[in-house]
Amino acid sequence: MSINRKKLGAVLGVMVAIAIAAASTAGAAQQSTPGVTKTSVTIGGTFPLSEPSPPNGASLYKTIAYAEEAYYGYVNAPKNKGGLGGVNGRTINDIILDDQYTPSETFAKTKQLVESDHVFAIVGSLGTATNLATMGYLNNKGVPQALLATGDAYWGLCALKGSAFHPIKNVCTKPKPWTEGWQPDYPGEAQIYAKYILAHVSHPKIGVLYQNDAYGQNYLAGLAQGLGSHYSDIIGYNKKKNSAPDGAYSVGESNAQIGARVGKLEADGANTFVIFATPGSSIAALATEGALHWTPSGGTFLNNVSANRIFMLTAEGSGAHPAGVISSTYIKSQTASQFQNDPAMALGKQIIYATGNAALKHEWDIGDSNLVYGLAVAWTFVDALKHAGNNPTRASFMKALRSLNESGANKNPFVYPGMVVKSSASRTFPMQQLQLEKWDGTTHDWKTFSGIYNSGH
Amino acid sequence: MRRHAPRLGSLAVVAAVLIVLPFVLSSYHTYLAAEVGIFFIAILGLNILTGYTGQISIGHGAFMAIGGYTTAVMSRDHHTNLLVTMLFAFAFSFVVGVLFGLPALRLSGVYLALATFALALSVQYVPLQWSTYLGGSGGVQSSTTEGNVWLYGVSWATAATLFAVAWLLLRGRVGRAFRAVRDSEIAAVASGVEIGIYKTLAFAISAAFCGAAGSLYVMWLNGFAQPQEFAVGLSLSLLVGAAVAGLGSLWGILAGAAFIGLLPQVSASVPVIGNQHGLDVVYGVLVVLVMLVLPEGFAGLLGRLRVFTQGLNRESTAVKLPESSSQ
Repeated sequence: MSINRKKLGAVLGVMVAIAIAAASTAGAAQQSTPGVTKTSVTIGGTFPLSEPSPPNGASLYKTIAYAEEAYYGYVNAPKNKGGLGGVNGRTINDIILDDQYTPSETFAKTKQLVESDHVFAIVGSLGTATNLATMGYLNNKGVPQALLATGDAYWGLCALKGSAFHPIKNVCTKPKPWTEGWQPDYPGEAQIYAKYILAHVSHPKIGVLYQNDAYGQNYLAGLAQGLGSHYSDIIGYNKKKNSAPDGAYSVGESNAQIGARVGKLEADGANTFVIFATPGSSIAALATEGALHWTPSGGTFLNNVSANRIFMLTAEGSGAHPAGVISSTYIKSQTASQFQNDPAMALGKQIIYATGNAALKHEWDIGDSNLVYGLAVAWTFVDALKHAGNNPTRASFMKALRSLNESGANKNPFVYPGMVVKSSASRTFPMQQLQLEKWDGTTHDWKTFSGIYNSGH
Repeated sequence: MRRHAPRLGSLAVVAAVLIVLPFVLSSYHTYLAAEVGIFFIAILGLNILTGYTGQISIGHGAFMAIGGYTTAVMSRDHHTNLLVTMLFAFAFSFVVGVLFGLPALRLSGVYLALATFALALSVQYVPLQWSTYLGGSGGVQSSTTEGNVWLYGVSWATAATLFAVAWLLLRGRVGRAFRAVRDSEIAAVASGVEIGIYKTLAFAISAAFCGAAGSLYVMWLNGFAQPQEFAVGLSLSLLVGAAVAGLGSLWGILAGAAFIGLLPQVSASVPVIGNQHGLDVVYGVLVVLVMLVLPEGFAGLLGRLRVFTQGLNRESTAVKLPESSSQ
């Protein structure tokens, strides 16, 4: 009996000690606005800092998070050290967590940010499926889910009205007022390509390679919508199901399987090839196109999230011949000649170089557009935070996000010239413009052509 | 009677701590404690299979997937009460366990392990294939979600219930038959034990337990079932948890569940190694350590403590599920 009591006593003691320790951390004083003190604002976001299994190239987007962090570093630095001295006297503390592009991880990490780190807002989290997994939770808790790094239409459509338009039931049926995107949305982008194809390709037969989930289906729906009554130009398109099976690849398919799909689309007689994929798969698709010596007469179109210069260089290295591939952009480029003397690009370079991170510096030099994207989003966050007032609350911040006016004298310096970032009660998609660009095989870079199109809502 | 008193004493301590915990822990830590409860159920189930009948499975994450998707789909399509979906998950996983256990009778040892591993690898592709009903890579969202305290309460209440069920099952004929199968199939057959039935039963029961755990796991993930949640790593985690737990002791299973439930949270913030690789490194090092130092897991550690202290004071102390040697 004595052993028993000793053991039980010891265990009980340990458990009580753990409980007390936990309680003392739990009992931390709650501010009236979580994440906001007199001198700081704490925000957080989830990014694919490492690859999921199976790997799909998602961690190539991690430079977005690092660029945002770098920008906040610049904002936080005191004025006499070349910074901006914070926002209304507060420095920005950004917690970046790795979710490996896996929605269950995103949910767990986001819950940690909200309930353990008590962040003011979730800012910039990346991914469609990943953000869909946390959208309901964040809206229920009244936590801003802001400036998401994804162009899916759900953020804009679900914001104020709720919508039955959603491949995943129960996600969008109630309005999600705390959620807001930033970049031009994917269906809008796809519509622009559709209109371009109708105008420039006679008798188009469009083979579409797309990711068979909420992300890819969004693009496909936009393409079909842009084609209007010509939606059947998409090979194998089923309007009711919004599907085109030959090119519908599942997350987790290998590069070889993706290559096989490209071959199938060529065999189906496609004269126009459209790629709506994530980087790993887009690179594989372009490489296969090159290997097959397939040059569709109507052209090849690539979604802009796959059009980062570093992805294109990798594709070229894998045997792709992407000269003439058409995509779009809405931010400035580090390598394009038109921005060589641009002061915003000079500032961006300075900010990235100031991190002292050699890898990031190299990424800037070779034209990783994720860095410019990150700077642009961070700029918008600071803009909204300024307008949220001297004592920002989640509600005042959300209000500022819904009344952005980055144009004219207050234009976002990292966004493509002539484009605005604007939102209002009815305008729930802040960016709705895209500039077309074509890949130049000699300079190994994008060259803008045609003009700025509206991805209209 | 004396032999039962310490057992009840230990149970009382655990119960008391579990009841008090949500009042002293923060909401977020209560949420984490719920996950430990979920893994407790899964490891308990796996323990019945590997510990008591000696069959290896590196695929029980598949049954968690089955249970999880049952909950998500029923809630999405029929707005079924989440607790009711767990009952269905339990039953459905039991049936699938039988269906898998029957052909698996032909296999043993490495071959059975490989077959279960194949199950673990393939299960995440099932929703991708039947994406119309199972949501594909986009997942399935339940119609209701629950808060941290609810999750904690239901997980641990289910864990307690299933622990009692397991204890009752294993102390009787079924348990003796299981152990006979593990210790010597030939002797078991000679004693009139129908090996096929008991092996399949063990598979089915362990599958059902994991199904219930999977159902709770999806509820824990805000009611969102997704293929990536049930990747191979989950099955491997369960096996690691069962190894850390050792055979059949309550404390062992608690330790195993805490190990695989909480370690990812803790090791993500390991300095030097850092966020990205902290988990992998710490996890790996600890698993190797446990294998080297504690091949019989936590239960073995307790057993050794018991033997050691018996030398000083001849008493049997640990709360355990019925074990062959102590009967």
